[in-house]
Amino acid sequence: AGILAAHKITASSPDTDLPTVSGLRKMGVNFTVSNKDTVKSSDVLFLAVKPPIIPFILEEVGPDIEARHIVVSCAAGVTISSIEKKLSTFCPTPKVIRCMTNTPVVVREGATVYATGTHADVEDGKLLEQLMASVGFCTEVEEDLIDAVTGLSGSGPAYAFTALDALADGGVKMGLPRRLAVRLGAQALLGAAKMLLESEQHPGQLKDNVCSPGGATIHALHFLESGGFRSLLINAVEASCIRTRELQHLADQEISPAAIKKTLLDKVKLESPSLSVASASKVSLFTSKSKKN
Amino acid sequence: RAGGVTLGGVASRIAMEASELWVGFVGAGRMAGGLVRGLLQAGKVPASNVLASAPSDKNLEAWRELGCRTTHCNLEVVHRSTLVFLATKPHILPGVLEEIRPAVGSHHIVVSLVAGVTIQTLQRLLPPWTKVLRIMPNLPCVVQAGAMVFSRGTNAGDEEAALLKSLLSSCGLCEEVPESYIDIHTGLSGSGVAYVYLFAEALAEGAVKMGMPGALASRIAAQTLLGAAKMLLETGEHPAKLRGDVCTPGGTTIYALHQLEKGALRATVMDAVEAATNRACDMAKD
Repeated sequence: AGILAAHKITASSPDTDLPTVSGLRKMGVNFTVSNKDTVKSSDVLFLAVKPPIIPFILEEVGPDIEARHIVVSCAAGVTISSIEKKLSTFCPTPKVIRCMTNTPVVVREGATVYATGTHADVEDGKLLEQLMASVGFCTEVEEDLIDAVTGLSGSGPAYAFTALDALADGGVKMGLPRRLAVRLGAQALLGAAKMLLESEQHPGQLKDNVCSPGGATIHALHFLESGGFRSLLINAVEASCIRTRELQHLADQEISPAAIKKTLLDKVKLESPSLSVASASKVSLFTSKSKKN
Repeated sequence: RAGGVTLGGVASRIAMEASELWVGFVGAGRMAGGLVRGLLQAGKVPASNVLASAPSDKNLEAWRELGCRTTHCNLEVVHRSTLVFLATKPHILPGVLEEIRPAVGSHHIVVSLVAGVTIQTLQRLLPPWTKVLRIMPNLPCVVQAGAMVFSRGTNAGDEEAALLKSLLSSCGLCEEVPESYIDIHTGLSGSGVAYVYLFAEALAEGAVKMGMPGALASRIAAQTLLGAAKMLLETGEHPAKLRGDVCTPGGTTIYALHQLEKGALRATVMDAVEAATNRACDMAKD
């Protein structure tokens, strides 16, 4: 998106064999195996590890967190208060922002929401918003809505991929070559989504506009309704949201090392003297704000 | 006298014509009764100008109570009326048409309410110069909240259509349509009224289950339907939009709607309209 130069980005991961690592390197991102180095060279710190790992990361990098740092957690189900609690042993007023995004950020059509923590200022939120808006839609929400967002737009792309796969199957059944069917299906959903976003009209109205009396589309829609299409989608969003909450409850309990897989733990012990676990890469960013200090 | 006829001029002539109109009903059953009640309520036609015929006195008593005149002779209705409504049962109609055929003139306007009998059939059984129209009303005409569609036959012109529309708008919504829509109207609105009664009953039962007395629940259910329909008609908004307006995030309504979607209510309703429409088509073929 051109919002940030690659050399201002640092990423860390203990595992240098990950395909994502070489990808990041090719883009010109600074890479290190040391989480601490990443923290030291950043102002905005994205925590992109799996949720159970978060407490260990915070334990590890906590001492290096300074007043200037904005800690952004993208971990599903990890609450702001749990992060603030962990960091408060090291830093009196840690700036924490919780964020929920989705995979289409890679094509700059992400859907991101964020909630600001106790000590994050309005400008901190706005900075994040500016960054994330460069890769799609981004808006602030109350933290208690983040689970619902996960269910809708977090998991949403998976629902869409499933639908597209099936639509393509339908096309193939009726005689289209697979590649063309996938291409057309995807374009149809893309176009429809774009129409909806650019229109003042209700999706129900837009649907009606496509359905000529006694025509093909209304016949097809009847099938969708008979199959409970709408309720399936409602169920899906609900299930994802509820599961997110469950995971959050699990995370709120302190995870003991014994809960982590033994192999992972062994690997970490070999690499660093202190007990810290990082199984995924962590991206952090320089910003021009650092010049102010 | 200005050249051409102004719209206001036509309307006032129709209004004048309506009050001087002699209206006849061949058949005096429920649907005919609903229509005439609507007409009389709206003051479009004086009761004394209305003549209805039926084989027995069973239905005619109610008509007399309204101030209408009655007879057992179908021919008399045709002789003494300009606008003749045919409201017999479908299997009776051919016989009735053969009976009245000699008396039908070019001044008559014949409007059939008979379910499933096409304009083609009507025109075949009546003199070739007859102005024929076919109408499909629904029961709430009786409370002036009906939904009616009509189509015109070969000899029925703009004036006849305008007259019918103006008269029957007193009973509710009245629109001219191509004849092919009439069976669909049956499925949607003719039978549709019954779907609504079913829904109202179910709503009330839900409330009774939750502890509300039945009579109160029924009245509230009916008022809810009335209010929602009124909002639809008056705001002109898309029903999906109005539905969204009622759904506060995480609130009671969206929870309830989810249940309805789980039950595939939409598809079931579409099935119902389709079934009734197809049945109407099938019956017309018989």
